[in-house]
Amino acid sequence: MDYAIQVTNLKKTYKVKQKEKGLIGSMKSFIHPMYKEIDAVDNISFSVTPGEVIAFLGPNGAGKSTTIKMLTGILYPNQGYCKVWGLDPSKHRKKLAYHIGTVFGQKEQLWMHLTPYDNFQFFAAVYDMKKEEANQRIQELIEVFELEEFVNTPVRNLSLGQRIRCEIVTSLIHHPDILFLDEPTIGLDPVVKENIRSLIKKMNKEFHTTIFLTSHDIGDIEKLCKRIIIVNHGKIVLDDSMEEIKYHYLHKKILEVKLKEEMELSHIPGVTVIKSKGANLKLELDTNVTTVGEVMNQIDTNNLIDINISNIPLEQIITQIYKRGDES
Amino acid sequence: MRKYWFIFKTTVMESIQYILNTIIGFFTYFIVTFVFFQLWVYIYSDGQNTIAGYGLKQMVWYVMLTELMWFVNSNHTLLSQMSNDIRSGGIAYGINKPYHYLLYCVAKHFGDIAVRFVIYLVLGVLLGILFVGPLDNFCLWQLPFVSITFILGMTLNALIRMLINILCFWMEDAKPIQWIYDKFIIVIGTTFPIEIFPRWAQGALRFSPIFVITYGPVKLIIDFSFPLLFQVLAAQLAYLVSVALIMYFLYQKGVKRLNVNGG
Repeated sequence: MDYAIQVTNLKKTYKVKQKEKGLIGSMKSFIHPMYKEIDAVDNISFSVTPGEVIAFLGPNGAGKSTTIKMLTGILYPNQGYCKVWGLDPSKHRKKLAYHIGTVFGQKEQLWMHLTPYDNFQFFAAVYDMKKEEANQRIQELIEVFELEEFVNTPVRNLSLGQRIRCEIVTSLIHHPDILFLDEPTIGLDPVVKENIRSLIKKMNKEFHTTIFLTSHDIGDIEKLCKRIIIVNHGKIVLDDSMEEIKYHYLHKKILEVKLKEEMELSHIPGVTVIKSKGANLKLELDTNVTTVGEVMNQIDTNNLIDINISNIPLEQIITQIYKRGDES
Repeated sequence: MRKYWFIFKTTVMESIQYILNTIIGFFTYFIVTFVFFQLWVYIYSDGQNTIAGYGLKQMVWYVMLTELMWFVNSNHTLLSQMSNDIRSGGIAYGINKPYHYLLYCVAKHFGDIAVRFVIYLVLGVLLGILFVGPLDNFCLWQLPFVSITFILGMTLNALIRMLINILCFWMEDAKPIQWIYDKFIIVIGTTFPIEIFPRWAQGALRFSPIFVITYGPVKLIIDFSFPLLFQVLAAQLAYLVSVALIMYFLYQKGVKRLNVNGG
């Protein structure tokens, strides 16, 4: 299998009902409904190789979830085609279901009144697994995801973090080749997020599962993904490796300076003051225009208490790319 | 079919959590049937032995059994969940699994009502015996035949409700149609036997879902005959095939129109 996912000129248009204001508008809309066409996904193409962990990012309404839903066969594209594990999702949804797993962070698939164990047995049956095979697989996943402690507690009594772990296990029961994770860490605290990330990483390493991730959490992306695709207004605005992105955007540095006494910094091209509070300064500098040394020359070293130079956060990089997409 | 059996079994396991609600819900059934029992006792007290061919005992059992079918057969999956899922796009999360969504809904529906059916049936029969005593003509050997028509009747009711829910792919809300269907069956199909209605209406009612869902199966318990059994079974099978085909066709069309809110 050359590609786990192959997408070519994929397009999805929604017809959204429009209504004028007020009662008259409501009546008009009843007699003569008006629709507006919105391009949720607009002619996108990309491919993913088996075993790859890819982040599919974009602001709200960019077309991420619509793309996932087309890739999993839930939505039918208006134009273009996609192949997931060699199958056309819109024609072979049921067949494809055996090769993919899905976790939608905002939509649980577990049965709330049953225990995780009963849920796992249920999903194993749905995926036509034999009893012995299912038992073995469930045991393996319980160990990998460390679920022993609560595997016999009804799902409704579990914490959100425990529930998400069970959701992921549920989607892995049938040995999927590709796992679609749509905001899997939404609403989780930092410790649980970290735990989920390391489990996803482990899963990719141990089972060689291809992972297609959407998330608004930069931590998820930094920790898990080697490649990023950014979409905005339904179009791909960036498709690059994490290393390349960092390389291209890391000419910007954040300089945090703590001084003994307040000082007036003269204007230096390429330097932006992000924050200035008393004797504390936070600057962003573009190393293509100026150097750290030039900025330091402006500061009296006898007045300096502490200095910290860091790279621009990935979150900021991605926001810039979103904005660039908006402008274009 | 193993997976559908598992869906049924898992829903039964989940519905056991609500067993107390089911028992409490039985009181509503008790009140409704008690009111009808009193009403028919009053009507028959003027010396009539039969009304439209039904004695008091048969009439009370008719109402009790049709009401039982109705109370048991209405559940959240078919009344609101399915249409809500279609309108909100939540159905998307149900169709990306290797089962047929419609069969999933049928299995889930029967899982939902199985425990309730057993409880209502046992308590309902006890209540009927308490009100008017056992039915005179009913013999145990008729039970397997009657059971088949009961199951087919309940399946048909589920399919018709699902068919109405599927209209949500095209309509903003299918609740008004559900409401009309609901009232049609409850007012005309459970309260009075078809024979009570004027002759011209009887003909139409014998072709309506009432004949295959409530009247037919219950009439067989009250007054079993093989010609009626064949008539009910034939009508049920004809309805079943037609409704299933229309539903399948509309579902295949509708699912392509699916819009998922929020992506």
